[in-house]
Amino acid sequence: MELRFRKGRDIAFGTAPRALPPVPCAVGAVAVMARDFPAVVWDPRVTQGQVVRQGQALCVDRLRPEIALVAAASGRVSGLHHGARRRLERIEIEAEGAEETEFDVKGATADPGSLRALLLKSGAWAAFRTRPFGRIPAPSDTPSAIFVTVTDSQPLAADPVAVLAPQMAAFQRGVAGLLHLTEGPVFLCQPPGPALMTAQGRLRVVHVAGAHPAGLAGTHIHHLWPVSVQKPVWQIGGQDVAAMGQLLESGRIGARRVVSVAGPGVQAPRLVSVPLGARLADLVDGAAGGKPLARQVISGSVLSGQSAPFLGRFDLQVTVLGGAAPAPSVWGRLLSCLPRLRTGATLPMERLEAAFPFDIPPAPLMRALAVGDVETAERLGCLDLLEEDLALLSWLCPSGCDYGALLRRVLDRLGQEAAA
Amino acid sequence: MMRSGVDPAGGWDAHRLTLAFGIAAGLPACAAIAERGGAFSILLAMGLAVIWEAVFARIRRRPMAWDGLVSALIFALLVPAQTPFWQQGLALSFGLVMGDLIFGGRGRGFLSPACVGLAFLLFSFPQAGAEDLGLMTMIAALGGGAILLGLGLLSWRVVLGFCLPLLAGAALSGAPEAVAWMPNATLALGLIFLIGDPVAAASTNPGRWAYGGMAGALVMLFGSEGSALASVVFAGLLASLFAPLMDQAVVWWAWRRRRNRRGQHG
Repeated sequence: MELRFRKGRDIAFGTAPRALPPVPCAVGAVAVMARDFPAVVWDPRVTQGQVVRQGQALCVDRLRPEIALVAAASGRVSGLHHGARRRLERIEIEAEGAEETEFDVKGATADPGSLRALLLKSGAWAAFRTRPFGRIPAPSDTPSAIFVTVTDSQPLAADPVAVLAPQMAAFQRGVAGLLHLTEGPVFLCQPPGPALMTAQGRLRVVHVAGAHPAGLAGTHIHHLWPVSVQKPVWQIGGQDVAAMGQLLESGRIGARRVVSVAGPGVQAPRLVSVPLGARLADLVDGAAGGKPLARQVISGSVLSGQSAPFLGRFDLQVTVLGGAAPAPSVWGRLLSCLPRLRTGATLPMERLEAAFPFDIPPAPLMRALAVGDVETAERLGCLDLLEEDLALLSWLCPSGCDYGALLRRVLDRLGQEAAA
Repeated sequence: MMRSGVDPAGGWDAHRLTLAFGIAAGLPACAAIAERGGAFSILLAMGLAVIWEAVFARIRRRPMAWDGLVSALIFALLVPAQTPFWQQGLALSFGLVMGDLIFGGRGRGFLSPACVGLAFLLFSFPQAGAEDLGLMTMIAALGGGAILLGLGLLSWRVVLGFCLPLLAGAALSGAPEAVAWMPNATLALGLIFLIGDPVAAASTNPGRWAYGGMAGALVMLFGSEGSALASVVFAGLLASLFAPLMDQAVVWWAWRRRRNRRGQHG
C-alpha cells in the first residue's frame, strides 16, 4: 500500500543528524512526567529517597491501577513534584547502579491475556496512545486497528528506519506481539524503500511519502482508518515496538531510545541513545562541549515540542534554540523592525490548505476550535487528530493561537461526553 | 508549542500582513497619484482611518492596528475623484466601522471595509462615476496583485474563478464591444483588493472557486448596465455575503464524505 501526500510543508531549520551508530549517553537523572499523559491522575508507589531498580513501578493510574509507569533507570528517587490540586506532576530519579527488574515473560508470546498483563506491569502499555483523545488505552480495551509509526517528518528528526535497523529482530517480535492485541489490522507505516516486514494476514505495510506532516501517525490514521469513539485506534512508535520485542525476549524493559539532538544551539547535530525521560541538560551540555550558552532546550520538535527539563515520553528529538542564528534576509530584517502583535485574528490563506494533508477544510476547523464549537469540530473529524497534527497550522496561522491546546480542550470535552 | 519563542521561516502576524497588503496597494496608489494627482484625498482618507482605528483601540483597550490604512488607501483609489470630501469621509467611516471595526478588527468580520464604504457611497450619493484611472494604475494594480498572489494572500482560485465567467461570457456573446469595457483599472483593483480580500472571500478551496465564479458572473451582469465601479463593488459585496454559506456547504460536504468513508470499513 502506498500513501503519497502532495500537501504539507517541510521547514528548513538546520541539518538533521545523520551519524550512526548513536552515541550512548550517560545521564545523571531521569523522570516520568504526568503532562505526557492527559486526563490521568497518578498515585505514587515510591517515596522520596527510596532506591528503585530499572523497571520498578513508580506510580499507577488512580482509576486503572493496572497501568503503571516504571523507572527507566535504577537509582534513588530524588523528587516527587506536585502541581495544582496536589496532583503528581513528576517523579525524578537520580541515576546510580544498574539493577534491573526481570519480568516473567513465559506465555506472553502465545497468550493475549498474559501479554497484556506483562505490558501493563512493565510500563510498556503507556507507549500506546489512543485515537480519539490521545490517552493511554484502558487495560481491557481492544482497538479496531494498531498503527506502528516508523516515519518521522518533524524538522530535525532522525531517520527512523536507520535507527531501527540494528534492532530489527526485536522490532519484528514486537509487531508479532501487537497482532495479539487486536482483531483488526496492524498498519506498519514506513518511508518508501524495502519493506521492514512482509505484509501478510492482518499486518499491512504502508509506504508513506511527502512533506511534514506526512510522517505523523495522525495523517496515516486519518487516511487509512478514520476513527470514532466506537472504533478506536492505537498508535505506537517504532522504537517502542522494538522495546516491546526486547521485553518479550529477555524480560527486561527496553528503556533506551535513540534521540536526535539538533538545532541552531548545538554545534554538531548528533544521535544519542538515552533512557526514557532523560535529563536534557546532560544531553545538550555534552553536545556543545560544555560551553554555557543562552539556549532554550525543547523536548520534541520546534513545531510541537515543549520547553522542559526532561525528555517527554513520546519525544524522539531534542531541539536546541539559541546560539548563532542564521543571518536574516532583508525582508526578514524589515519585518522584525515592526512591533509584533501577540494576538490577532486568523486570515484564511491558501497556505493553510497547502500544508494540511487531511480531508478536513482547515479554516473552518480552526474557527470551530477557536470558538470552542465542539459539534462542528467533531463533524469535521477532529477525533482523528492530536495536538501534534495541528502544530504546523499553529505555526502558519497569523493569529498566534495554539490550535493544539484548543484541540485538547475540545477532545477533553468530547471524551467526557463519551465516558458519560 | 514554540511559536512564540522562535520564528524559523518568518511566519505571518497581523502587522506583517498589513505591511504586505499596504505595499501591494501602495503600488497602484503611487501610479494613480502620478497619473491624476489626488494625493491629498488619499492622505485625508488615511488620516480618517487612523482616527477610527485609534478610537476603537481605545474603546477595546487593545493595541493599535493599522489595517484601516490599507482599507482607506483602496477606498481612496477607487472613489470617483469629483466626489465631495464630506461624502467620501462619511462613506469611508461607514465602511471602516460597520464593515470591520464593530466586528473586532480585520480578520474577525466577513466583509471588505473598502467595499462596504464604496457601496454606501454609490447607494447614498448616486452619480455618474467617470472612469478616471488609467493604464499605469492598472499595470501597478496587477503588479500588486502578483505580489499578493506570490505571498499566498490572494487566492489564485478566486482570481481564476472570477475570470472564467467573464471569459465565457465574452466568448458566448460573440460581440467584442459588449465586453470591451472590462479590461480597466477599476476592475483590476476591485478584483484584487475588494473581491480578493481573504477576509471577504470564502475560506475553503471549493468555496473559493464558487465565490470567485459568483463575483465574476455578477460583475458581468451588473457591468452591462451600470459603471464598472458599481458593478465590481456590488458584485463583491453580494458575493462576500454568500461566502459564509458556501463555506458552510463545504463543511457539510466534508462531514458527509467523512461519514461515508467511515462506513466503508465498518
